[in-house]
Amino acid sequence: MIPARLKRAFARTFAACTFAVTSFAAHAQGTVNVYSIWPENWARPMFEEFTRATGIKVNFVRFSSGEALARVTAEKGNPRIDVLFGGPVETFAAGIAEGLFEPYKSPSFDKLPARMKHADGQWIAIADDPLVFMTNEKFLKENNLKAPASWDDLLAPAYKNMLQMADARTSGTAVTRIFSIIEVNGRNEDKAFAYMKKLRPNVQIFTKSGGGGTLPVGLGQAGGGIFFIVDALDTKAKGYDVAISFPKEGIGTSAEAIALIKGAKNPDLGRKLIDWATSPAMQNQFAKHKINFVPAHPDVALEPSLAAVLKGANIFPIDADFAGKNRKRVVDRWIAEILNP
Amino acid sequence: MTGAATLRRDPAVALTVAVLWLVLALFVAFPMATLLARIFFDKGAFSADGFLAVLTDRHQIRAFWNSMLLGVLVGVGGTLLGFMFAFTAARARLSRGLLTVVDAAVLLPLVSPPFTTAIAIIFSFGPRGLITYELLGLKGVTAYGLTSTLFSEILTFFPIAYLTLRPLLAGIDSNIEGMAQSLGASRWRVFRTVTLPLCVPGLANAFLLLFAASLADFATPLILAGNQFPVLPTQAFLQITGLFDLRGGAALSLVLLVPAMAVFLLQRYWVSRRFYVTVTGKGAGQAPHDSVSPRARAALLAACAFVAVAIIYFYALLLYASLVVALGANHTFTLAHYRVIFTEGLRVIGDTLIIAAFAMPLGGLYGVLLGYLVTRKSFPGRRTMEMTSMVNYALPGTIVGIAYLIAFNEPPIELAGTALLIIACYVFRYGPTGIRATIALLQQIDRSLEEASLGLGAGSGTTFRRVTLPLILPAFFAGLGVVFIRSMTAISATIFLVSVSWTLITVKILENITELSLGPAAAYSVLVVVIVFVVIALIGLALRAFRAPGSTRVTSLLGG
Amino acid sequence: MGDATIGVQVDGVSKRFSHRVKGEVYAAREVRLDVAPGEFLTLLGPSGCGKTTTLRMVAGFEKPDEGAIRFGGEDVTALPANGRGIGFVFQNYALFPHLTVADNVAYGLEVRRVPSAEVGSRVAEVLKLVGLAGYEHQFPAQLSGGEQQRVALARAIVIRPRVLLFDEPLSNLDARLRVQMRTEIRDLQRRLGITTIYVTHDQEEAMAVSDRIVVMNQGRVVQEGTAQDLYHRPANEFVATFVGRVNLVPGRIDDLVGGVASVSMLGTTVEVRSVAHGIARGDAVRVVVRPEAIGLSAAGSEGPSATVASHAFLGEKIEYGLDCGGAALQAVRYNAGPGEVLPDGAPVTLNFAEEALALLPGDGR
Repeated sequence: MIPARLKRAFARTFAACTFAVTSFAAHAQGTVNVYSIWPENWARPMFEEFTRATGIKVNFVRFSSGEALARVTAEKGNPRIDVLFGGPVETFAAGIAEGLFEPYKSPSFDKLPARMKHADGQWIAIADDPLVFMTNEKFLKENNLKAPASWDDLLAPAYKNMLQMADARTSGTAVTRIFSIIEVNGRNEDKAFAYMKKLRPNVQIFTKSGGGGTLPVGLGQAGGGIFFIVDALDTKAKGYDVAISFPKEGIGTSAEAIALIKGAKNPDLGRKLIDWATSPAMQNQFAKHKINFVPAHPDVALEPSLAAVLKGANIFPIDADFAGKNRKRVVDRWIAEILNP
Repeated sequence: MTGAATLRRDPAVALTVAVLWLVLALFVAFPMATLLARIFFDKGAFSADGFLAVLTDRHQIRAFWNSMLLGVLVGVGGTLLGFMFAFTAARARLSRGLLTVVDAAVLLPLVSPPFTTAIAIIFSFGPRGLITYELLGLKGVTAYGLTSTLFSEILTFFPIAYLTLRPLLAGIDSNIEGMAQSLGASRWRVFRTVTLPLCVPGLANAFLLLFAASLADFATPLILAGNQFPVLPTQAFLQITGLFDLRGGAALSLVLLVPAMAVFLLQRYWVSRRFYVTVTGKGAGQAPHDSVSPRARAALLAACAFVAVAIIYFYALLLYASLVVALGANHTFTLAHYRVIFTEGLRVIGDTLIIAAFAMPLGGLYGVLLGYLVTRKSFPGRRTMEMTSMVNYALPGTIVGIAYLIAFNEPPIELAGTALLIIACYVFRYGPTGIRATIALLQQIDRSLEEASLGLGAGSGTTFRRVTLPLILPAFFAGLGVVFIRSMTAISATIFLVSVSWTLITVKILENITELSLGPAAAYSVLVVVIVFVVIALIGLALRAFRAPGSTRVTSLLGG
Repeated sequence: MGDATIGVQVDGVSKRFSHRVKGEVYAAREVRLDVAPGEFLTLLGPSGCGKTTTLRMVAGFEKPDEGAIRFGGEDVTALPANGRGIGFVFQNYALFPHLTVADNVAYGLEVRRVPSAEVGSRVAEVLKLVGLAGYEHQFPAQLSGGEQQRVALARAIVIRPRVLLFDEPLSNLDARLRVQMRTEIRDLQRRLGITTIYVTHDQEEAMAVSDRIVVMNQGRVVQEGTAQDLYHRPANEFVATFVGRVNLVPGRIDDLVGGVASVSMLGTTVEVRSVAHGIARGDAVRVVVRPEAIGLSAAGSEGPSATVASHAFLGEKIEYGLDCGGAALQAVRYNAGPGEVLPDGAPVTLNFAEEALALLPGDGR
């Protein structure tokens, strides 16, 4: 066993060294290269199911959405991956502006509702992921609070320095959150930023990744925060005592998408992955692996417990075009006015 | 004999010099030049606008001063703590067992990824922290900001000061202190007027090392500094990984270059000249029997025990986190996290070990060869070669990583995403420790040994192999050790170089921490600590086996 | 601590160390010394004999496991080094490398809170005394070995110590300087009259400087006395061989009358006055014959005959290796002028300066 592994190790290094100078080519036949924006513990089981179903191996590394987008942009001239997997559509919308993707319409394309796909097939949704408020039950009890049911509830003095949410520089969760706030303020950006400025003193830390604040909230190190429902439900499933609630003004949901990279070295394998991911073949597996995404495909039934959580929630989609066009400007403004006041 | 004549006469040396210049040009000069070009040239025309934009942005200025403040505080705090430990170890007459415990506790932060204590700190401090809330009942404490970053960095980096100061204290001729005492000085006066002044160069050196370490560390502030206390390395990291603004990130990192170079030059040309030569003959073996009063000894022991317990507590918490389902919620014992890292994480572990396994011998060899050539052979550009080799070592990892990313991302030399690039990064960034060790060792070995071999008719290659190499083996092993440890634990440069094909455990740990997937992060950290301890122990054994009796000891595997 | 001269008593002190292989070993065992006020006493012995350990206990750097140390009748055993009022000179000088010569010398005075004006004058005075006037602002690293030694000496005496202690102070100097410095140390000690204990392994140095010498071996005192006592009347073989060069010639006591022994050796009979205790008629003994006690005369005279086996011409003297019926002897003659040297193989007759001979028991005790 050891000699075999050693041999593989040498072979890999040798390959890397040999091909390194000319081009990056150290990938085997039948392997598709992917940047996953979904955390590894959800992406991995999906890819394993894919490999089981098709025999195609998936070589992937996980980056948060900002990092992934930045990498794909930087590698535009010489793409190192075939597929960008997961992550909110705003990220993909921004990628279209950079001309990163190869349009492709998978067999499921026609069945999906309009907001779950890009008209030209630049991206296709694989799941829907609403934002939620997540608060620590013990914290609520100690401060005689109810789970927040309005954006303004988060401005309560009890939350001072006790909220955690994601940093817009690196996280798609944060971008979805900011556009939600712009949306509930009737796309009046100044009003939205005025609200965020009021919220700022209550924020303990802006975390690098979208789910970064879930554990502190679970532990009570923070009182609450705004997260994607998958992260929130995952925290609850681990056994942390947290409440999940929705603001009455409404909160955004962001479709999670997949796209083929322009100039991909293995476009056919990439298309196969997209075919599979956008179909019920993958989305039926969410429940089995306890991944609390809302399936994008209409034929996949919503898991009952997830349906119960979502019941009565006021959720609206984020306009992908609007978000894509304004993403950079809004994030820059957020950095200047909110992050570094 | 002129340098050029040496090269003509000695083709082996000439070839080695040529190869070294080639790799130095490729992996040191080229990336730095590309970095500067990227910052100062826009579409072929010189432009300092991008750089000036960074210099005048008040947020970045604030981040710069924050970095300086953090660096100075870490330098002062870490040096004091390191000195206290070194003084206790050298003077308080600890038993061997106790000394081993202290050493192990002190080494722990040094051989683990630099941000591992940060996790434990998040757990221990803060509104519901194990220490602040559960133990002390404090409310409204925040785990983020200057205080916790400082605390974590001091704990992580003070071992560097310890390793610098301990041999210095041990090397002070005990007769000098005994002399002062016999002249009537009290213990405190001896300490104040003799011991401490003799340590001043060492203290300055330790301070500069810690300042530089803090300047290079982006991961601890990333986790702990929060948004109220932005620091430059983290800003540069986010500028690049978050916004992929290579130019802005490069410009930010260039700002770090100024203090980093200042520190390096100060250390090299000022502090190093101020070490007192105290050895003028045979020193009496043992320290005076009562150089530390019983009360001071007790106080020192208590203080060191407190810090050691704190360190052990943090790592015990880490171990615990790796063995329970979800720390803070479900404390059922499980090996699931280890199962995860040994199944899903197996590739990462494999990648890291392969890279370390290649970087280690290459780095050791590079250090010994270059150190040997610049001390023992005269050839044109000798000093320049030595200085060039120190560049990647002296600069914060963020700069080096960014420079490599920019330089090797595109043709003509496209290495981005390959293991080769990560290996090169480790070799040229941490190999210089071996160079310094080799130079230091060779300066103590009389040149006549080699001349004797040459006189007996051996060529320079044979002389190097048969005479010099065995004598500088300790430096070789020291170089090996440092490169291996860094390959397992460093992140600041290599986080920019990981790819779909090659990734590293440290990057995985950082990702898991920022995702707060604590179990796997903790399990990976424990694994790294175990691997590094095992390898250090093996290198230590090899060192003992190879070291000729009476030959010089290399002060420490990790120093410098 | 006044200028009154005091004596030092070392009263049965022992110091044990645990050794990795040998277990518990004595570095010093029941050492007794009585140093008279103003006396210059030397501890002489090979390395590891316990002399330095004894000195460090007197200084207060080591605590004795047993026994007591008294300075002028005052028990100082429990007193740390800084309370004893000693001046110590180390083999490696132990100068403070970060202080100038003047600051090194002034250190002990400043510790004693001597007014700064007085510090200046006393430092200048003592530096002049050791011949280092003008070196005040130099650092130790800028000085030669001999100069460093003088600074160490100046620093030790400027505080007017009650006791001056030297630990092999000259062993780092070259031969010529060693001879010069030992004379200076001796003169200085005489002039200042400070009770002094001096440690060395060099018997010639010990004989040159000391009023009295204590020979130590394996942690114990083996003999004490003046240089002449030790040289001419060694108490045992160790002292006989350690102090000076010697021929130990086997012999037998033919007669013992009134403290004078008739000893037969090398086929002749000599009369020896210096007879160790416990030697009786008929005993096998060894006769201590110093090389200079062997006289050489032309072959055919009365006495044992021998041949010259080897010779070395050393200028002021000539050393001979002799073969006397199979026994090897060493002899030395002073050079009386050109043509004096006997060639190898030359036959000679030996005679012995009987007043210079001594007896040791034959069993090597």
